[in-house]
Amino acid sequence: MATQLPVTDEIFPKDSRKTYSLAELMRGESPLVGKGPDDTVFSFPIVLLWEVVLLLGVTLAIFLFSLARHAPLEEIANPLVTTDPAKAPWYFLGLQELLEHMHPTLAGVIIPTVLVLFLVMLPYLDHSRANAGVWFSSARGRRIVSWTALYVLVVMPGYIALDNALGLRELLRGVVPQWVAQGLLPGAIIAVLVALPALVVWRFGGDTRELMLTLFTVMFVSAIVFTVSGFLFRGPGFKLYWPWQMPDGYNPWDGL
Amino acid sequence: MTLASLAARLFQSRLWRSFFRHGWPDNPLDRSLAMTSNVFFHLHPVKVSHKSLRWSYSFGLGIISCILFGVLVWTGVLLMFYYVPSVERAYPTMKEIQLSVPLGQFTRDMHRWSAHAMVLAVILHLARVFYVGAYKPPREFNWIVGVVLLLLTLGASFTGYLLPWDQLAYWAITVGTNIAGYAPVAGPVMREMLLGGAEVGQNALIRFYTLHIAVLPLLITMLVSLHVWRVRKDGGLAANET
Repeated sequence: MATQLPVTDEIFPKDSRKTYSLAELMRGESPLVGKGPDDTVFSFPIVLLWEVVLLLGVTLAIFLFSLARHAPLEEIANPLVTTDPAKAPWYFLGLQELLEHMHPTLAGVIIPTVLVLFLVMLPYLDHSRANAGVWFSSARGRRIVSWTALYVLVVMPGYIALDNALGLRELLRGVVPQWVAQGLLPGAIIAVLVALPALVVWRFGGDTRELMLTLFTVMFVSAIVFTVSGFLFRGPGFKLYWPWQMPDGYNPWDGL
Repeated sequence: MTLASLAARLFQSRLWRSFFRHGWPDNPLDRSLAMTSNVFFHLHPVKVSHKSLRWSYSFGLGIISCILFGVLVWTGVLLMFYYVPSVERAYPTMKEIQLSVPLGQFTRDMHRWSAHAMVLAVILHLARVFYVGAYKPPREFNWIVGVVLLLLTLGASFTGYLLPWDQLAYWAITVGTNIAGYAPVAGPVMREMLLGGAEVGQNALIRFYTLHIAVLPLLITMLVSLHVWRVRKDGGLAANET
């Protein structure tokens, strides 16, 4: 045959006489660009085995815990008899603790909204790809996180205890308007306590990631402090007690 | 007939081949196909790096959260066979589950402790992902999905908290929803929408129940699938970036 016939069963017939094709080189990256396949293994079966091991381990742990401790069930709900103390589920006790120190709108709405917005916006505030996949990004980052955590562990319990002893709200009642005593003032105190370590890091030339490490650690450790305070240290009347000196035989762990 | 030849006949049978469209996974091709041709496995990548398997990198917190969710669905469905979401029947059915249903108390304990453990695991997972910087590009979107999953987890736990209809449940939900009610303008409306009234009562119970057993688990299932699939699409764990 002198000339080859074009392939006819395609929508765009390929002419075999053409020796070129259209192609374009693009600048861009695939998720695995610059990384050789050498350090990889097949997921089958290693990943699945890991998952089965975790499944057995986690289920066993919950199984044993369930044998050791029963879920609580108190008297039937009675809208006429308030329990003392009346506590939210443990993961909201940080907010309930905050409510003791400031206006409900600030503690129950503004602060949680700011926290969620901070979390959502985080990757857009800190968008450099440097040091992704490394715990605390660097040795310096690890030091920043440790010192910030230590700072929060001192300052936030201090704030709770001091505000509890002084009763800022009661002290300023009638002196300044309520929105100052309950909103502006505690809001400003919290804002300063949160901003202080970030300012220090910024002053020493911290980059965006290090600022975020500071702010997140303040948020995370504060949440732990307030939750522990609300869960373990609040007894009847939602007053502060040492966990081992709870009156009326109240045990915070019973309400888990 | 030996065992080996029986196995060979089974794996080559028309029935087996119609279920599994790959050979025994002892070679690269079939190991890839084992992952990609299975609907449950295909959310995983075909290959993973040694770095991302390192225990001290991820602590397996995401998978642990997922497993706890599975335990919760399993025990939750068992509890649903007995529990009645009405103000008159809820508490008596709880007593019934604990006292006369075989393994009822145990099932309820598993459900309760898994729920607390899942909230804890999800929070720790978020902290882990933050501290290794795994929210950075190209993983921004998956980070947001994760934040939404945290909120859904809190919602699932909170709505479940009311169902025993004891004093603990009633007052915890009263206190919790009061916090939501403090928002200016929208607060009271939101609170009333959630409770179906001014106070925690039958309307609140059935709303919380529906959210707890249908809406939130479905949303969580869908978003977890998206979340895990997206991990693969974004190039696996951020450990691969190093």
